Amino acid sequence: MESNNYQLIDRKADQAAKVKLTIERTLVYIFLVFLTIICLFFFYLLFVNATRSHAEIQSGFTLIPSKHFFENFQKMWNLSGMAPVRKGLRNSFIIASISSVLTTYFSALTAYGVYAYNFKGKKFVETFILLIMMIPSQVSSVGFLEMCNEMHWTNQYWVLIVPGIAAPATFFYMIQHLRATLPLDLVEASRMDGSSEFMTFNRIVLPIMKPALAVQLIFSFVASWNNLYLPTLLITKTELKTLPTMLALLRSADFANMDNGLIYMVIFISIFPVMLVYLFLSRAIIKGVTSGSVKG
Amino acid sequence: MAEVILKDIKKIYPYVEKKTKNNKKGEPEKKHNLQITDKGVVAVQNFNLEIKDGEFIVLVGPSGCGKSTTLRMVAGLEDITEGELIIDGKVVNSIEPKDRDIAMVFQSYALYPHMTVYQNMAYSLKIKHTPKDVIDQKVREAARILNIEEYLDRKPRSLSGGQRQRVAIGRAIVRNPKVLLMDEPLSNLDAKLRNQMRAEIIKLRKKINTTFIYVTHDQIEAMTLGDRIVIMRDGFIQQIGTPQDVFDYPRNKFVSGFIGSPQMNYFDGKLLIEDGKYVVDVDGYKVTLSEAKQERLTANKIEPQDVCVGIRPDHMVIGKEGLEGMVDVSELMGTNAHLHMTVQNKDTIVIVPIINGYNDYVGKTVKLEFTGNLVHLFSLENDKNLEFINENVYSEVEE
Amino acid sequence: MDNIKSIRKVESNDTEPKKRIQKGVSYAKWGYIFIIPFFLVYLAFTLYPQIKTFIFSFQKYFESGLNVFGPKWNNFGNYVALFTKSENGVVMIVKAFTNTMIMWLMGAVFQFLISLVLAVFFTSSRLRLKATGFFKAVFYMPNLIMASAFAFLFYALFNTVGPINQLAQMMGWADKPIDFISTYPWSTRTLVATMNFILWFGNTTILLMAGIMGIDESLFESARMDGASSNRVFFDITLPLLKPILVYVLITSLIGGLQMYDVPYLLTKGGGEPNFSTMTIVMLLNKYLSANNYGMAGAVAVVLFVITGGLSFLVFRMIRRKDD
Repeated sequence: MESNNYQLIDRKADQAAKVKLTIERTLVYIFLVFLTIICLFFFYLLFVNATRSHAEIQSGFTLIPSKHFFENFQKMWNLSGMAPVRKGLRNSFIIASISSVLTTYFSALTAYGVYAYNFKGKKFVETFILLIMMIPSQVSSVGFLEMCNEMHWTNQYWVLIVPGIAAPATFFYMIQHLRATLPLDLVEASRMDGSSEFMTFNRIVLPIMKPALAVQLIFSFVASWNNLYLPTLLITKTELKTLPTMLALLRSADFANMDNGLIYMVIFISIFPVMLVYLFLSRAIIKGVTSGSVKG
Repeated sequence: MAEVILKDIKKIYPYVEKKTKNNKKGEPEKKHNLQITDKGVVAVQNFNLEIKDGEFIVLVGPSGCGKSTTLRMVAGLEDITEGELIIDGKVVNSIEPKDRDIAMVFQSYALYPHMTVYQNMAYSLKIKHTPKDVIDQKVREAARILNIEEYLDRKPRSLSGGQRQRVAIGRAIVRNPKVLLMDEPLSNLDAKLRNQMRAEIIKLRKKINTTFIYVTHDQIEAMTLGDRIVIMRDGFIQQIGTPQDVFDYPRNKFVSGFIGSPQMNYFDGKLLIEDGKYVVDVDGYKVTLSEAKQERLTANKIEPQDVCVGIRPDHMVIGKEGLEGMVDVSELMGTNAHLHMTVQNKDTIVIVPIINGYNDYVGKTVKLEFTGNLVHLFSLENDKNLEFINENVYSEVEE
Repeated sequence: MDNIKSIRKVESNDTEPKKRIQKGVSYAKWGYIFIIPFFLVYLAFTLYPQIKTFIFSFQKYFESGLNVFGPKWNNFGNYVALFTKSENGVVMIVKAFTNTMIMWLMGAVFQFLISLVLAVFFTSSRLRLKATGFFKAVFYMPNLIMASAFAFLFYALFNTVGPINQLAQMMGWADKPIDFISTYPWSTRTLVATMNFILWFGNTTILLMAGIMGIDESLFESARMDGASSNRVFFDITLPLLKPILVYVLITSLIGGLQMYDVPYLLTKGGGEPNFSTMTIVMLLNKYLSANNYGMAGAVAVVLFVITGGLSFLVFRMIRRKDD
């Protein structure tokens, strides 16, 4: 069925619109690439300088990696004295792993308790946790530090780990996730099957929450790994210090007189583990930033 | 008013999800039979249609058939992968929706929640810098037509479903668009309101002079509203025609089953030639076809063959001879009864009038008669109607 | 950081089946049992120390060497001291507050403008951008990076002998090294704000994107069909409907900003140089705490608490009023 006036069809406006959209799109891509460069440039400089020796770094600017990466790595690994970075890595890892597991498990448990059971004050409990979420952690840090000093709890890891059991933000994420994914009928069905309440939580609810647990495990690990404020105050013994604390110490030393390649390597190794995890799990992590939050 | 031409339109949705992702949970593999190519899923293809000025076109088909996609391509909300869309003699493939002068009524109504009904309806005019008094006059005029004058100061949230629907239509008509698109506008209403609004749309259509493209999955809406109906399945047009044409002369088995309720019955039968005439034989019950059908079959040089015989439920009567079947269930509908029976081991529905009291057929074996002008013969090979086997989907029957 | 990690649904809808008829055994006690660990830990390690903080703020209480002075009631003495001009003629807490706000604002203006624009780009059905997953991943990445390491990196790059100065001299932009970090207040503040921007704009983008995707897509489509240009769709539809979430993200960012610490601390060795122009509230708090001056630290913490609390309260009331 050919239109009788098909020859008279006007394509000019259509072509112009196409060109306009292409130009707009190109400009947007240029903007995105520009931001990408901003995001990656400093980390690239970090990498380049972590591969260079002190002498090379002082000789001038370059974007080409050198070949002293392993040399710098060895120096970093064997660093002792004020900042034994190898021990810092280990200490940070221990604290972050245990505290992230505790935070995640107990947040899920608390959220499940509030979500699945009807008890007096249930509504109040949720509102209360929401309210305290807003209070900066630094407010309690004054009393907490005094308490630790008085009780001689300083230089003990558990004071950095145990308070993570009460994590309002993680609780909030978990309860949102439960609302979206766990029908209460399932809990009742499990009860009918003769499962105890704890067993139901551990065997039925936790597996269902796996995606949320994984995401919060990562977030709380990263938060603990990166934490500078409290560990600086509570850990004073050099061999017990965490990585960020050691960075702060290195920073207070005279930079110009230190092996710069080594310093870049220390910074690199502080960032690297998280980057490695992110490389593989970026999709899940980004989804976790919002999922179950904005859209209930 | 505008003429709309869709020429060889094709739409491919590129793959987004990887196949392996969700399959382990035993979900259904796929819901549709859309063609899949290297580039992605083909949602619409070979779509050709010329819509005349002021015509009311209905796109109808089961979910996933590509009707909404087609409508959204006309709206400019979806890219057109191939082909040309021409409105008023201008190709508009890349023209933005805002410059197409097309209005659309959405299935979800899409009323702006932060604006009052008045502001919702005035929005498109305000954008075009229409003088305030003109806006006011037009909005009130549309509100009067649709009976929503008293709600003008309310927010959409405080309106009922039917009222929102009217506002959505009002918003579309205030600006006298060249083309008015409707995407399943009645599907969120309950049955009673739906019937009422359907009648309103017919009335509205007489009042405003514009080209309509209406999408629905409901064949009754299609039959009652459309000047022409476009029946689609799996991205392909199955038939284009007037409601009567589509009902009387379905081009294939799918169309015959989709249009008409209850659905057409199908039997295994044979097409024979006896004494130079085409005769259809179902289980030994022979019926000579009508003259018109004889002519068309002859013109197509159809050979005797096994066929699928389609007969609508209201085109069969219980008589002395004919197809034998057992009545399983009888549904009383008031003036008639729907008999569910087993014929050739298949479920069959027959509508019988209730004239002199109701005759209880349940459990009885009855004989079904039919006449030669109301049978449809479909090829077992390709499901096409043998009378029209050489025609494409666009041709109409001349009577 | 934790506060901002999960965006709260502003309008909470009560989907939970409240009126479940409980017959026979009551499971209510299990609810209490399951939340006990959280509240025990909260009481012992958060609430109790918080109360202590408040009490200390009204006491003279500090350690000097091995000697402990106090705790002794001092009424508002600490607060008076806090709001008194120090020897260099400034009120330290006011200065710290101003610094914090200035540096937060410098970063936040760009953070929110660019994040809004990005969120609109990424969700635009008109632009249909490709590789958005890659860009999102790159933009979010800095958010996970140790802020102190990032700040140390900036120090290493921007100090007088660092690569940036080397580059500037190599290219002939400067004939002698520029001290970006400890000479010019606005240069140091800009560095801090830049770092905060890089660390947070990806996070904000993702939150705002989620907010936009939470809006019924057909509203945008409808506006486009009504003749609205991209700009008009943004100002007439996106912005008004995104407002509750935008305000929420803004306020959590502000509360996070008030707690700014790692970046300026590492960049300036904790000194807030030059001339205390980058000293933040928490850095001041930390200064008193490292000296074990619980009284003065308590007063700073209470000030921080009051500001945060006031801001949260104000904004949530504002949201509620707008909803009605």
